[in-house]
Amino acid sequence: MGAPEKSENFKQRAHDALADPNLKTAIERTTGTAETKRAAAIGAFPEFQAARVRGAAIKDHVIANLDHYLIEFERNATEAGAHVHWARDAKEAAAIVTRICTEAEAKIVTRAKSMLGEEIGLPHALEDAGIERVETDLAEHIIQLAHERPSHIIWPAMHRTREDVAELFFKDHQPPPDADDPASMVASARRVLREKFMAADVGISGANFLVADTGATCTVTNEGNAELSTTPPRIHIVTAGIEKLVPSTDHAMALLRLLVRSATGGEVTQYTTFHCGPKRVGDADGPEEMHIVLVDNGRSRMVGDEFRQMLRCIRCGACMNHCVVYRQIGGHAYGGTYPGPMGAVLTPVLDGLAASRDLPHACTLNGRCEEVCPVRIPLKTLLKAWRVRSWDSQQEVGAVRMGLGIWGFAARRPRLYHFGTRLALPVMRLFGKGGWIRKMPLAGGWTETRDLPKPAARSFMSQHAKYGNGGPK
Amino acid sequence: MSARDDIIAAVREGLKRGQGGALPRRAPAEIRAEAAALLAGLDEIRPSLVTPDPVEAFIQKCANPALGVTLDRVAGWAALPQAVTGYLDRHELPHRLAVSGDPRLSALGPGIETHAPCAPDEAAAISIASWGVAETGSVVIHSAPDQPILNAMLPRHWLVVVEAAKILPFLDDYATFASLRPRNAVLITGSSGTTDIEGYFVRGAHGPGFVHVLLIG
Ligand code: SF4
Repeated sequence: MGAPEKSENFKQRAHDALADPNLKTAIERTTGTAETKRAAAIGAFPEFQAARVRGAAIKDHVIANLDHYLIEFERNATEAGAHVHWARDAKEAAAIVTRICTEAEAKIVTRAKSMLGEEIGLPHALEDAGIERVETDLAEHIIQLAHERPSHIIWPAMHRTREDVAELFFKDHQPPPDADDPASMVASARRVLREKFMAADVGISGANFLVADTGATCTVTNEGNAELSTTPPRIHIVTAGIEKLVPSTDHAMALLRLLVRSATGGEVTQYTTFHCGPKRVGDADGPEEMHIVLVDNGRSRMVGDEFRQMLRCIRCGACMNHCVVYRQIGGHAYGGTYPGPMGAVLTPVLDGLAASRDLPHACTLNGRCEEVCPVRIPLKTLLKAWRVRSWDSQQEVGAVRMGLGIWGFAARRPRLYHFGTRLALPVMRLFGKGGWIRKMPLAGGWTETRDLPKPAARSFMSQHAKYGNGGPK
Repeated sequence: MSARDDIIAAVREGLKRGQGGALPRRAPAEIRAEAAALLAGLDEIRPSLVTPDPVEAFIQKCANPALGVTLDRVAGWAALPQAVTGYLDRHELPHRLAVSGDPRLSALGPGIETHAPCAPDEAAAISIASWGVAETGSVVIHSAPDQPILNAMLPRHWLVVVEAAKILPFLDDYATFASLRPRNAVLITGSSGTTDIEGYFVRGAHGPGFVHVLLIG
């Protein structure tokens, strides 16, 4: 696992990503399919809009009563025999998990994909503690072999082509896959990971929901790796953000309908599992101990301001699948744990605005993200809120402030503005060829990795002056 | 202060700030009532069944190729062994199954060898589901002394018996049974699959690649 990149140097990473044509192909294939499948699933669910409103209301209700639900969940989970731990921040959370593992003298730990685990730096912490970490989600397995971080919250290996995966598996799997088609490679991963599932001492999962009235945690997967990670080992550890609470299983079901359709276009995942305490007397299988680590890491701060609405997020990934910026640069360029629009809102909370001020700016504000968000998070508004904070806290560099200052001055003086554009447009047209500008002085930052559309032969204003509101006859 | 106290205090502090400086103290009963009200009029926020009869809807859902499930209707428990051997023969599998301690399975019939526990590379295992869900074509198992979760996860072929009388219309109808609070409640919908390599759908990622539902009655 490579060191997690910080969210600084966004521009450099975005630039490198734009220059990588393979990356764009890989991302486009998966996000394109995801977009189509989601659209079909929503089309077959006419109640979707009403369900979204209700989903948002459920999450808002939980956040407005978060203290109540945390205490209720703790009481019920404890009563079911689970140990509930609390972690103020990432470091504390990772330390709790590694302590449980080392005290249990764990040698092999299986992990079922959890973005919160990434957020608290669990992969690193386990490795530092000398514990063999086995990622069991197929995509996480791929990126573990490649020593990378996830680039998407649902498809962590989205940036890897089939050829890349074949290369990794042929190098690492013993015996190697039979062939380099996806089916053979999946079969090979199944073989390799099966041994690990059965040999693990501890299984670690996240939680899609924490059910307050039963004390159960809920995981959803399509592969079945969560169940195989949490059943055979002696200890099951859950790490979950405090915003994952729902009042009851019924509420979880209402959100589940939104989550799965928005994530993969399915109606439900193949496996939806509620884990409630450790193995009971006489049970045929299951872990002897269950630990639940409730992680704050900035969430309680969000409760008090406009970012409260971000705590609705059910991590479906739809906002990134529909984001024009994400689809150009991929997840790694964002630098934080969470990419795309939701990442651009969350990363400043987690890593601080100073280190991530570019993220809220890397957005066209086209609003697709909030149109598809199943819990109606006003992502655009929240991104704008970060921009305002960034501006107010003087995070903007001198050149940007000056540029915007000049633009603002001209924009308030229409004559000056039109004079400027009348001068600039004919010059720009000189550099255009076949409708596109490939290179132009002062525009290298744009044209190095993409073309700029050549300005139209006549500007809107000049045509409007000529034809008026009716347009050309 | 402990981390727990700190977090709860920080949440309350945030709530106070977010709600204009005062933390509205509400009785748990009031909070519960508000939560319940959020689930009023479920039909407005869930899809309708493909057909009104839950059993028929369940069968139709299972026929959806995306699920990767096959289904046989079985007249009654007495006809189960025959249905099981029929499936094993179709897939050219030996008449050998991992089972649980459930007496309805250990005596599947003279021609079928049964054993426990399920091996990591088991070819086929059989379980009895407690319920089916028509909305999604799911079956539900609750962990118990005679219900090993691994029997549903380890084999290449998973056979699952469910009684028609136990088909519930919606996911919400199952949610009522969550109050039984088993260690594990697993809703299984189709066979295991992944789209992690370039979005190609491949069956049998970690769990069973084949799921066969035996619908009794
Ligand atoms: S912000 Fe909305 S769309 Fe994006 S991951 Fe969260 S719930 Fe999904």
